[in-house]
Amino acid sequence: MSMDPFAEGREGSGVLRVETEGAPVAMLLRMQDVRKAAKDWKTYSSDLAPDIVIHSEADVRSVRQLPIECDPPDHTDYRALVQPLFDRPNKDPEYKAEIETLVDQMVADLVHESECEIVRGFALPLQSKALARLLSVPDSEADVWIQWGVHVFYDRDEAETEKNPLEAYTGEMFRKAEENPGEDFFSHLNQLHFRGRPLTFEEKQGFANVTFAGGRDTVINTISGIFAYLAEHPETLQQLKQDRSLILPAVEEFVRYVSPLTAIARKCPHATALPDGSEVSEGNRIAMCWPSANRDASVFSNPDEVVLDRKPNPHISFGFGKHNCLGAPHARLILRSLLTSLCDRVDEIQVLKKVAKLEEESSFTRENGYEQLNVKLLGNS
Amino acid sequence: MPKVTFITPENETITIENAEGTLMEIATFNDVDGIEGACGGVCSCATCHVRIPAEWQAKVGPASEAEQGIFDFMEEAGPDSRLGCQIEMREELDGLVVHVAGDEE
Repeated sequence: MSMDPFAEGREGSGVLRVETEGAPVAMLLRMQDVRKAAKDWKTYSSDLAPDIVIHSEADVRSVRQLPIECDPPDHTDYRALVQPLFDRPNKDPEYKAEIETLVDQMVADLVHESECEIVRGFALPLQSKALARLLSVPDSEADVWIQWGVHVFYDRDEAETEKNPLEAYTGEMFRKAEENPGEDFFSHLNQLHFRGRPLTFEEKQGFANVTFAGGRDTVINTISGIFAYLAEHPETLQQLKQDRSLILPAVEEFVRYVSPLTAIARKCPHATALPDGSEVSEGNRIAMCWPSANRDASVFSNPDEVVLDRKPNPHISFGFGKHNCLGAPHARLILRSLLTSLCDRVDEIQVLKKVAKLEEESSFTRENGYEQLNVKLLGNS
Repeated sequence: MPKVTFITPENETITIENAEGTLMEIATFNDVDGIEGACGGVCSCATCHVRIPAEWQAKVGPASEAEQGIFDFMEEAGPDSRLGCQIEMREELDGLVVHVAGDEE
Protein backbone atom coordinates (compact mmCIF):
# COMPACT_ATOMS: atom_id res chain seq x y z
CA MET A 1 0.00 0.00 0.00
CA SER A 2 1.18 3.47 -0.75
CA MET A 3 0.58 7.15 -0.12
CA ASP A 4 1.37 7.62 -3.81
CA PRO A 5 -0.34 4.98 -5.96
CA PHE A 6 -0.10 7.41 -8.88
CA ALA A 7 3.61 7.15 -9.77
CA GLU A 8 3.18 4.79 -12.72
CA GLY A 9 0.32 6.79 -14.21
CA ARG A 10 2.09 10.08 -13.65
CA GLU A 11 5.20 8.92 -15.46
CA GLY A 12 3.11 7.16 -18.11
CA SER A 13 0.05 8.76 -19.71
CA GLY A 14 -0.42 11.38 -16.98
CA VAL A 15 -4.09 10.47 -16.58
CA LEU A 16 -5.74 7.85 -14.35
CA ARG A 17 -9.36 6.92 -14.89
CA VAL A 18 -11.52 6.19 -11.89
CA GLU A 19 -15.20 5.31 -11.80
CA THR A 20 -17.46 6.73 -9.11
CA GLU A 21 -21.19 5.98 -8.89
CA GLY A 22 -20.93 4.51 -12.37
CA ALA A 23 -19.53 7.70 -13.91
CA PRO A 24 -16.00 8.13 -15.28
CA VAL A 25 -13.62 10.71 -13.78
CA ALA A 26 -10.27 11.36 -15.49
CA MET A 27 -7.70 12.26 -12.85
CA LEU A 28 -4.84 14.54 -13.92
CA LEU A 29 -1.61 13.43 -12.27
CA ARG A 30 1.12 15.88 -13.31
CA MET A 31 1.85 19.23 -11.68
CA GLN A 32 1.55 21.44 -14.75
CA ASP A 33 -1.58 19.66 -16.03
CA VAL A 34 -3.21 20.15 -12.62
CA ARG A 35 -2.23 23.83 -12.44
CA LYS A 36 -3.50 24.40 -15.97
CA ALA A 37 -6.86 22.81 -15.15
CA ALA A 38 -7.12 24.86 -11.94
CA LYS A 39 -6.63 28.06 -13.91
CA ASP A 40 -8.85 27.29 -16.91
CA TRP A 41 -12.35 27.51 -15.42
CA LYS A 42 -14.04 27.89 -18.78
CA THR A 43 -12.85 24.42 -19.80
CA TYR A 44 -12.87 22.91 -16.30
CA SER A 45 -15.85 24.37 -14.46
CA SER A 46 -16.59 24.37 -10.74
CA ASP A 47 -20.30 24.82 -11.45
CA LEU A 48 -20.95 21.18 -10.60
CA ALA A 49 -22.77 21.00 -7.24
CA PRO A 50 -22.87 18.59 -5.42
CA ASP A 51 -20.01 16.82 -7.20
CA ILE A 52 -16.90 18.86 -6.29
CA VAL A 53 -15.23 15.79 -4.79
CA ILE A 54 -14.93 12.66 -6.90
CA HIS A 55 -17.82 10.89 -5.14
CA SER A 56 -21.08 12.75 -5.61
CA GLU A 57 -22.43 14.17 -2.35
CA ALA A 58 -26.02 14.16 -3.61
CA ASP A 59 -27.00 11.76 -0.82
CA VAL A 60 -25.45 13.73 2.01
CA ARG A 61 -26.20 17.39 1.29
CA SER A 62 -28.83 19.44 -0.51
CA VAL A 63 -26.93 22.73 -0.85
CA ARG A 64 -24.37 24.08 -3.27
CA GLN A 65 -21.16 24.64 -1.33
CA LEU A 66 -19.98 28.25 -1.55
CA PRO A 67 -17.77 29.73 -2.77
CA ILE A 68 -16.22 26.50 -4.07
CA GLU A 69 -18.95 25.20 -6.36
CA CYS A 70 -19.21 28.10 -8.79
CA ASP A 71 -17.13 29.95 -11.39
CA PRO A 72 -16.19 33.61 -11.85
CA PRO A 73 -17.70 36.16 -11.73
CA ASP A 74 -20.01 34.69 -9.03
CA HIS A 75 -17.10 32.96 -7.35
CA THR A 76 -15.10 36.18 -7.10
CA ASP A 77 -17.93 38.04 -5.37
CA TYR A 78 -18.94 35.18 -3.07
CA ARG A 79 -15.36 34.57 -2.01
CA ALA A 80 -14.70 38.24 -1.27
CA LEU A 81 -17.56 38.16 1.26
CA VAL A 82 -15.90 35.59 3.51
CA GLN A 83 -12.20 36.09 2.72
CA PRO A 84 -11.60 38.50 5.66
CA LEU A 85 -12.97 35.98 8.13
CA PHE A 86 -10.67 33.22 6.90
CA ASP A 87 -7.69 35.59 6.74
CA ARG A 88 -7.88 36.33 10.45
CA PRO A 89 -5.06 33.92 11.34
CA ASN A 90 -2.75 36.08 9.18
CA LYS A 91 -3.99 39.48 10.27
CA ASP A 92 -4.96 39.25 13.94
CA PRO A 93 -2.09 38.64 16.41
CA GLU A 94 -4.53 38.06 19.29
CA TYR A 95 -6.25 35.32 17.35
CA LYS A 96 -2.91 33.75 16.51
CA ALA A 97 -1.92 33.76 20.19
CA GLU A 98 -5.28 32.21 21.12
CA ILE A 99 -4.75 29.25 18.76
CA GLU A 100 -1.14 28.82 19.93
CA THR A 101 -2.35 28.65 23.53
CA LEU A 102 -5.11 26.18 22.66
CA VAL A 103 -2.70 23.87 20.84
CA ASP A 104 -0.05 24.15 23.54
CA GLN A 105 -2.53 23.30 26.30
CA MET A 106 -3.72 20.26 24.37
CA VAL A 107 -0.13 19.09 23.78
CA ALA A 108 0.63 19.62 27.49
CA ASP A 109 -2.40 17.47 28.39
CA LEU A 110 -1.23 14.84 25.93
CA VAL A 111 2.21 14.68 27.54
CA HIS A 112 0.56 14.45 30.94
CA GLU A 113 -1.60 11.51 29.81
CA SER A 114 1.50 9.88 28.34
CA GLU A 115 -0.50 7.40 26.21
CA CYS A 116 -3.16 8.57 23.79
CA GLU A 117 -5.02 7.77 20.60
CA ILE A 118 -4.21 10.64 18.26
CA VAL A 119 -6.97 10.60 15.62
CA ARG A 120 -10.10 10.82 17.80
CA GLY A 121 -8.34 11.54 21.08
CA PHE A 122 -6.34 14.57 19.93
CA ALA A 123 -6.64 15.64 16.28
CA LEU A 124 -10.46 15.64 16.09
CA PRO A 125 -10.99 17.68 19.28
CA LEU A 126 -8.15 20.02 18.29
CA GLN A 127 -9.64 20.64 14.84
CA SER A 128 -13.10 21.24 16.32
CA LYS A 129 -11.93 23.56 19.10
CA ALA A 130 -9.77 25.56 16.70
CA LEU A 131 -12.74 25.88 14.32
CA ALA A 132 -14.90 27.12 17.20
CA ARG A 133 -12.40 29.93 17.68
CA LEU A 134 -12.28 30.73 13.96
CA LEU A 135 -16.08 30.95 13.94
CA SER A 136 -16.21 32.81 17.30
CA VAL A 137 -18.62 30.35 18.91
CA PRO A 138 -18.32 28.81 22.41
CA ASP A 139 -16.30 25.63 23.00
CA SER A 140 -19.55 23.85 23.84
CA GLU A 141 -20.38 23.91 20.12
CA ALA A 142 -17.09 22.12 19.41
CA ASP A 143 -18.29 19.36 21.75
CA VAL A 144 -21.28 18.90 19.42
CA TRP A 145 -19.08 18.75 16.29
CA ILE A 146 -16.70 16.24 17.87
CA GLN A 147 -19.63 13.83 18.09
CA TRP A 148 -19.96 14.01 14.29
CA GLY A 149 -16.63 12.24 13.87
CA VAL A 150 -13.62 12.62 11.63
CA HIS A 151 -15.62 13.18 8.42
CA VAL A 152 -18.76 15.23 8.71
CA PHE A 153 -20.62 13.17 6.08
CA TYR A 154 -19.16 9.69 6.21
CA ASP A 155 -17.86 8.88 9.69
CA ARG A 156 -20.92 6.84 10.61
CA ASP A 157 -22.69 3.62 9.63
CA GLU A 158 -23.79 3.47 6.04
CA ALA A 159 -27.42 3.21 7.13
CA GLU A 160 -27.08 6.51 8.96
CA THR A 161 -25.16 8.37 6.25
CA GLU A 162 -28.24 10.13 4.92
CA LYS A 163 -29.17 11.32 8.36
CA ASN A 164 -26.09 13.47 8.66
CA PRO A 165 -26.75 16.28 11.09
CA LEU A 166 -24.87 19.16 9.44
CA GLU A 167 -27.56 20.99 7.48
CA ALA A 168 -30.10 20.84 10.30
CA TYR A 169 -27.45 22.08 12.73
CA THR A 170 -26.23 25.02 10.63
CA GLY A 171 -29.82 25.94 9.73
CA GLU A 172 -30.68 26.09 13.40
CA MET A 173 -27.57 28.15 14.15
CA PHE A 174 -28.55 30.75 11.50
CA ARG A 175 -32.06 30.96 12.99
CA LYS A 176 -30.72 31.33 16.54
CA ALA A 177 -28.29 34.00 15.38
CA GLU A 178 -31.16 35.94 13.83
CA GLU A 179 -32.94 35.99 17.18
CA ASN A 180 -29.80 36.73 19.19
CA PRO A 181 -27.16 38.31 16.95
CA GLY A 182 -23.58 38.19 18.20
CA GLU A 183 -20.06 38.38 16.83
CA ASP A 184 -20.08 34.79 15.56
CA PHE A 185 -19.85 33.32 12.03
CA PHE A 186 -23.60 32.68 11.77
CA SER A 187 -24.57 36.21 12.84
CA HIS A 188 -21.94 37.59 10.48
CA LEU A 189 -23.32 35.66 7.49
CA ASN A 190 -26.84 36.82 8.40
CA GLN A 191 -25.59 40.39 7.88
CA LEU A 192 -23.72 39.86 4.60
CA HIS A 193 -25.00 41.20 1.29
CA PHE A 194 -24.34 39.70 -2.13
CA ARG A 195 -24.60 42.30 -4.90
CA GLY A 196 -26.86 44.52 -2.84
CA ARG A 197 -29.22 41.94 -1.35
CA PRO A 198 -28.94 39.80 1.79
CA LEU A 199 -27.61 36.26 1.30
CA THR A 200 -30.40 33.73 0.90
CA PHE A 201 -30.79 30.92 3.44
CA GLU A 202 -29.51 28.43 0.83
CA GLU A 203 -26.40 30.54 0.18
CA LYS A 204 -25.65 30.82 3.90
CA GLN A 205 -26.12 27.07 4.25
CA GLY A 206 -23.72 26.62 1.33
CA PHE A 207 -21.01 28.68 3.01
CA ALA A 208 -21.53 26.87 6.31
CA ASN A 209 -21.55 23.43 4.67
CA VAL A 210 -18.06 23.65 3.22
CA THR A 211 -16.77 25.46 6.31
CA PHE A 212 -17.56 22.33 8.33
CA ALA A 213 -16.91 19.68 5.68
CA GLY A 214 -13.63 21.06 4.33
CA GLY A 215 -10.63 21.32 6.61
CA ARG A 216 -11.84 18.55 8.87
CA ASP A 217 -10.53 15.12 7.81
CA THR A 218 -7.75 16.96 5.96
CA VAL A 219 -6.40 18.69 9.07
CA ILE A 220 -6.92 15.52 11.12
CA ASN A 221 -5.05 13.35 8.57
CA THR A 222 -2.18 15.81 8.47
CA ILE A 223 -1.88 15.86 12.27
CA SER A 224 -1.89 12.07 12.54
CA GLY A 225 0.56 11.90 9.64
CA ILE A 226 2.95 14.25 11.47
CA PHE A 227 2.76 12.23 14.71
CA ALA A 228 3.39 8.95 12.88
CA TYR A 229 6.29 10.40 10.91
CA LEU A 230 7.96 11.95 13.98
CA ALA A 231 7.57 8.64 15.82
CA GLU A 232 9.20 6.72 13.00
CA HIS A 233 11.93 9.35 12.54
CA PRO A 234 13.02 10.44 16.03
CA GLU A 235 15.95 12.36 14.52
CA THR A 236 13.47 14.66 12.75
CA LEU A 237 11.95 15.83 16.04
CA GLN A 238 15.45 16.43 17.40
CA GLN A 239 16.40 18.47 14.31
CA LEU A 240 13.30 20.64 14.73
CA LYS A 241 14.01 21.11 18.44
CA GLN A 242 17.54 22.23 17.69
CA ASP A 243 16.65 24.59 14.87
CA ARG A 244 13.24 26.20 15.21
CA SER A 245 13.69 28.07 11.93
CA LEU A 246 12.89 24.69 10.32
CA ILE A 247 9.31 24.75 11.61
CA LEU A 248 7.89 26.94 8.81
CA PRO A 249 9.37 24.94 5.91
CA ALA A 250 8.70 21.67 7.78
CA VAL A 251 4.97 22.43 7.97
CA GLU A 252 4.89 23.04 4.21
CA GLU A 253 6.82 19.82 3.65
CA PHE A 254 4.48 17.76 5.84
CA VAL A 255 1.50 19.26 4.05
CA ARG A 256 3.12 18.28 0.72
CA TYR A 257 4.13 14.82 1.96
CA VAL A 258 0.71 13.97 3.44
CA SER A 259 -1.31 15.80 0.74
CA PRO A 260 -4.46 15.06 2.73
CA LEU A 261 -6.98 15.82 -0.01
CA THR A 262 -6.73 13.30 -2.84
CA ALA A 263 -8.68 15.11 -5.54
CA ILE A 264 -11.04 17.94 -6.44
CA ALA A 265 -13.26 17.59 -9.49
CA ARG A 266 -14.19 19.90 -12.36
CA LYS A 267 -16.87 19.46 -15.00
CA CYS A 268 -16.21 19.92 -18.70
CA PRO A 269 -19.05 21.98 -20.24
CA HIS A 270 -17.88 20.85 -23.67
CA ALA A 271 -15.84 17.92 -25.03
CA THR A 272 -12.23 18.41 -23.96
CA ALA A 273 -8.94 16.83 -25.04
CA LEU A 274 -6.75 15.57 -22.19
CA PRO A 275 -2.93 15.43 -22.03
CA ASP A 276 -2.93 11.70 -22.88
CA GLY A 277 -4.77 12.39 -26.15
CA SER A 278 -8.11 11.05 -24.93
CA GLU A 279 -11.28 13.11 -24.74
CA VAL A 280 -13.67 13.91 -21.92
CA SER A 281 -17.25 13.99 -23.18
CA GLU A 282 -19.38 17.05 -22.66
CA GLY A 283 -20.74 17.10 -19.10
CA ASN A 284 -18.25 14.57 -17.71
CA ARG A 285 -15.71 15.31 -15.02
CA ILE A 286 -11.98 15.44 -14.55
CA ALA A 287 -10.17 15.67 -11.21
CA MET A 288 -6.99 17.36 -10.07
CA CYS A 289 -4.95 14.87 -8.08
CA TRP A 290 -3.02 16.96 -5.55
CA PRO A 291 -0.89 14.19 -3.96
CA SER A 292 0.26 13.07 -7.38
CA ALA A 293 1.19 16.59 -8.52
CA ASN A 294 3.02 17.03 -5.21
CA ARG A 295 5.31 14.08 -6.05
CA ASP A 296 5.96 15.07 -9.64
CA ALA A 297 9.67 14.35 -10.04
CA SER A 298 10.02 17.12 -12.63
CA VAL A 299 9.27 19.61 -9.83
CA PHE A 300 10.45 17.91 -6.61
CA SER A 301 13.72 16.05 -6.13
CA ASN A 302 13.41 13.02 -3.83
CA PRO A 303 9.62 13.49 -3.80
CA ASP A 304 8.99 10.49 -1.51
CA GLU A 305 11.20 11.88 1.23
CA VAL A 306 10.43 14.46 3.88
CA VAL A 307 13.07 17.18 3.42
CA LEU A 308 12.52 19.53 6.37
CA ASP A 309 14.12 22.55 4.73
CA ARG A 310 12.82 21.88 1.22
CA LYS A 311 13.07 25.19 -0.66
CA PRO A 312 11.62 25.83 -3.11
CA ASN A 313 8.61 23.69 -2.27
CA PRO A 314 5.93 24.76 -4.73
CA HIS A 315 3.39 22.18 -3.50
CA ILE A 316 -0.31 22.57 -4.23
CA SER A 317 -1.77 20.78 -1.20
CA PHE A 318 -3.99 23.82 -0.63
CA GLY A 319 -5.00 23.87 -4.29
CA PHE A 320 -3.94 26.41 -6.88
CA GLY A 321 -5.38 29.65 -8.24
CA LYS A 322 -8.76 31.25 -7.58
CA HIS A 323 -10.22 28.36 -5.60
CA ASN A 324 -7.21 27.77 -3.37
CA CYS A 325 -8.06 26.74 0.18
CA LEU A 326 -9.75 29.52 2.17
CA GLY A 327 -8.82 27.73 5.37
CA ALA A 328 -5.11 27.50 4.56
CA PRO A 329 -4.03 30.28 6.97
CA HIS A 330 -5.98 28.58 9.76
CA ALA A 331 -4.54 25.14 8.93
CA ARG A 332 -1.00 26.52 8.76
CA LEU A 333 -1.43 28.23 12.12
CA ILE A 334 -2.64 25.00 13.74
CA LEU A 335 0.23 22.96 12.28
CA ARG A 336 2.94 25.52 13.07
CA SER A 337 1.63 25.77 16.63
CA LEU A 338 1.59 21.98 16.89
CA LEU A 339 5.22 21.57 15.80
CA THR A 340 6.28 24.39 18.13
CA SER A 341 4.54 22.82 21.13
CA LEU A 342 5.88 19.35 20.31
CA CYS A 343 9.38 20.84 20.21
CA ASP A 344 8.78 22.59 23.55
CA ARG A 345 7.28 19.67 25.40
CA VAL A 346 8.13 16.32 23.79
CA ASP A 347 11.37 14.39 23.50
CA GLU A 348 10.17 11.26 21.82
CA ILE A 349 7.03 9.78 20.33
CA GLN A 350 6.51 6.02 20.25
CA VAL A 351 3.81 4.31 18.21
CA LEU A 352 1.91 1.66 20.17
CA LYS A 353 -0.59 0.79 17.47
CA LYS A 354 -1.47 2.16 14.08
CA VAL A 355 -4.13 1.40 11.52
CA ALA A 356 -3.72 3.25 8.24
CA LYS A 357 -6.78 4.78 6.60
CA LEU A 358 -7.29 3.47 3.09
CA GLU A 359 -9.14 5.20 0.27
CA GLU A 360 -10.27 2.39 -1.96
CA GLU A 361 -11.32 3.48 -5.42
CA SER A 362 -12.00 1.55 -8.63
CA SER A 363 -8.47 2.01 -9.98
CA PHE A 364 -6.32 2.77 -6.95
CA THR A 365 -6.03 2.43 -3.20
CA ARG A 366 -4.36 5.24 -1.31
CA GLU A 367 -3.11 5.40 2.26
CA ASN A 368 -4.26 8.73 3.71
CA GLY A 369 -3.79 9.33 7.42
CA TYR A 370 -4.88 6.86 10.08
CA GLU A 371 -8.05 5.25 11.38
CA GLN A 372 -6.27 4.77 14.67
CA LEU A 373 -2.89 5.90 15.96
CA ASN A 374 -1.97 5.09 19.55
CA VAL A 375 1.19 6.75 20.78
CA LYS A 376 3.22 7.14 23.92
CA LEU A 377 4.83 10.54 24.47
CA LEU A 378 8.00 11.03 26.43
CA GLY A 379 8.06 14.57 27.77
CA ASN A 380 11.08 16.81 28.05
CA SER A 381 13.19 15.56 30.89
CA MET B 1 23.58 47.99 3.99
CA PRO B 2 21.15 47.94 1.04
CA LYS B 3 17.90 49.85 0.72
CA VAL B 4 14.71 48.63 -0.96
CA THR B 5 11.49 50.43 -1.92
CA PHE B 6 8.09 48.75 -2.25
CA ILE B 7 5.36 50.50 -4.25
CA THR B 8 1.96 49.11 -3.22
CA PRO B 9 -1.07 48.76 -5.53
CA GLU B 10 -2.44 51.91 -3.82
CA ASN B 11 0.76 53.72 -4.87
CA GLU B 12 2.04 53.96 -1.35
CA THR B 13 5.85 54.03 -1.28
CA ILE B 14 7.63 52.26 1.55
CA THR B 15 11.40 52.41 1.75
CA ILE B 16 13.31 50.09 4.06
CA GLU B 17 16.89 50.98 4.94
CA ASN B 18 19.41 48.32 5.97
CA ALA B 19 17.22 45.64 4.44
CA GLU B 20 18.14 42.06 5.33
CA GLY B 21 16.60 38.75 4.29
CA THR B 22 14.26 38.03 1.39
CA LEU B 23 11.93 40.67 -0.05
CA MET B 24 9.01 38.70 1.41
CA GLU B 25 10.53 38.71 4.90
CA ILE B 26 11.39 42.40 4.68
CA ALA B 27 7.89 43.30 3.45
CA THR B 28 5.97 41.24 6.02
CA PHE B 29 8.18 42.49 8.87
CA ASN B 30 7.43 46.05 7.80
CA ASP B 31 3.70 45.46 7.14
CA VAL B 32 3.85 46.23 3.42
CA ASP B 33 0.31 45.87 2.07
CA GLY B 34 -0.25 43.08 -0.46
CA ILE B 35 2.62 40.84 0.62
CA GLU B 36 1.49 37.97 2.85
CA GLY B 37 4.10 35.25 2.63
CA ALA B 38 1.51 32.71 3.79
CA CYS B 39 3.72 29.66 3.17
CA GLY B 40 6.65 31.13 5.07
CA GLY B 41 8.87 31.53 2.03
CA VAL B 42 9.05 28.18 0.25
CA CYS B 43 7.69 29.31 -3.14
CA SER B 44 4.28 27.68 -2.77
CA CYS B 45 1.55 30.22 -1.99
CA ALA B 46 2.49 33.04 -4.40
CA THR B 47 1.24 35.67 -1.92
CA CYS B 48 4.50 37.64 -2.21
CA HIS B 49 4.16 38.41 -5.91
CA VAL B 50 6.18 41.46 -7.01
CA ARG B 51 6.96 43.05 -10.34
CA ILE B 52 10.49 44.16 -11.16
CA PRO B 53 10.98 47.37 -13.20
CA ALA B 54 12.92 46.88 -16.44
CA GLU B 55 16.03 48.67 -15.16
CA TRP B 56 16.39 46.20 -12.27
CA GLN B 57 15.59 42.95 -14.03
CA ALA B 58 19.15 42.09 -15.03
CA LYS B 59 20.50 42.56 -11.50
CA VAL B 60 17.58 40.80 -9.77
CA GLY B 61 17.62 37.96 -12.26
CA PRO B 62 14.85 35.96 -13.93
CA ALA B 63 12.21 33.81 -12.23
CA SER B 64 13.47 30.36 -11.22
CA GLU B 65 11.98 27.22 -12.70
CA ALA B 66 9.82 26.77 -9.58
CA GLU B 67 8.47 30.33 -9.85
CA GLN B 68 7.92 30.09 -13.60
CA GLY B 69 5.96 26.85 -13.11
CA ILE B 70 3.50 28.90 -11.03
CA PHE B 71 3.52 32.03 -13.22
CA ASP B 72 2.75 29.98 -16.34
CA PHE B 73 -0.73 29.37 -14.95
CA MET B 74 -1.32 32.50 -12.91
CA GLU B 75 -3.52 35.07 -14.63
CA GLU B 76 -1.94 38.04 -12.87
CA ALA B 77 1.67 37.13 -13.70
CA GLY B 78 3.80 38.65 -16.45
CA PRO B 79 7.39 38.55 -17.71
CA ASP B 80 8.40 40.99 -14.94
CA SER B 81 6.97 38.79 -12.16
CA ARG B 82 9.01 37.36 -9.30
CA LEU B 83 8.14 35.93 -5.90
CA GLY B 84 9.58 38.07 -3.13
CA CYS B 85 10.52 35.01 -1.08
CA GLN B 86 12.96 33.98 -3.79
CA ILE B 87 14.90 37.26 -3.84
CA GLU B 88 17.52 37.66 -1.15
CA MET B 89 18.49 41.28 -0.51
CA ARG B 90 22.18 41.96 -1.17
CA GLU B 91 24.55 44.94 -1.65
CA GLU B 92 24.27 44.71 -5.41
CA LEU B 93 20.52 45.42 -5.10
CA ASP B 94 20.98 48.61 -3.04
CA GLY B 95 18.26 51.07 -4.14
CA LEU B 96 16.01 48.37 -5.62
CA VAL B 97 12.42 49.38 -6.36
CA VAL B 98 9.69 46.72 -6.74
CA HIS B 99 5.95 46.94 -7.37
CA VAL B 100 3.69 44.85 -5.14
CA ALA B 101 1.34 42.97 -7.46
CA GLY B 102 -1.43 42.74 -4.85
CA ASP B 103 -3.34 39.97 -6.65
CA GLU B 104 -7.01 39.50 -5.89
CA GLU B 105 -7.29 35.77 -5.37
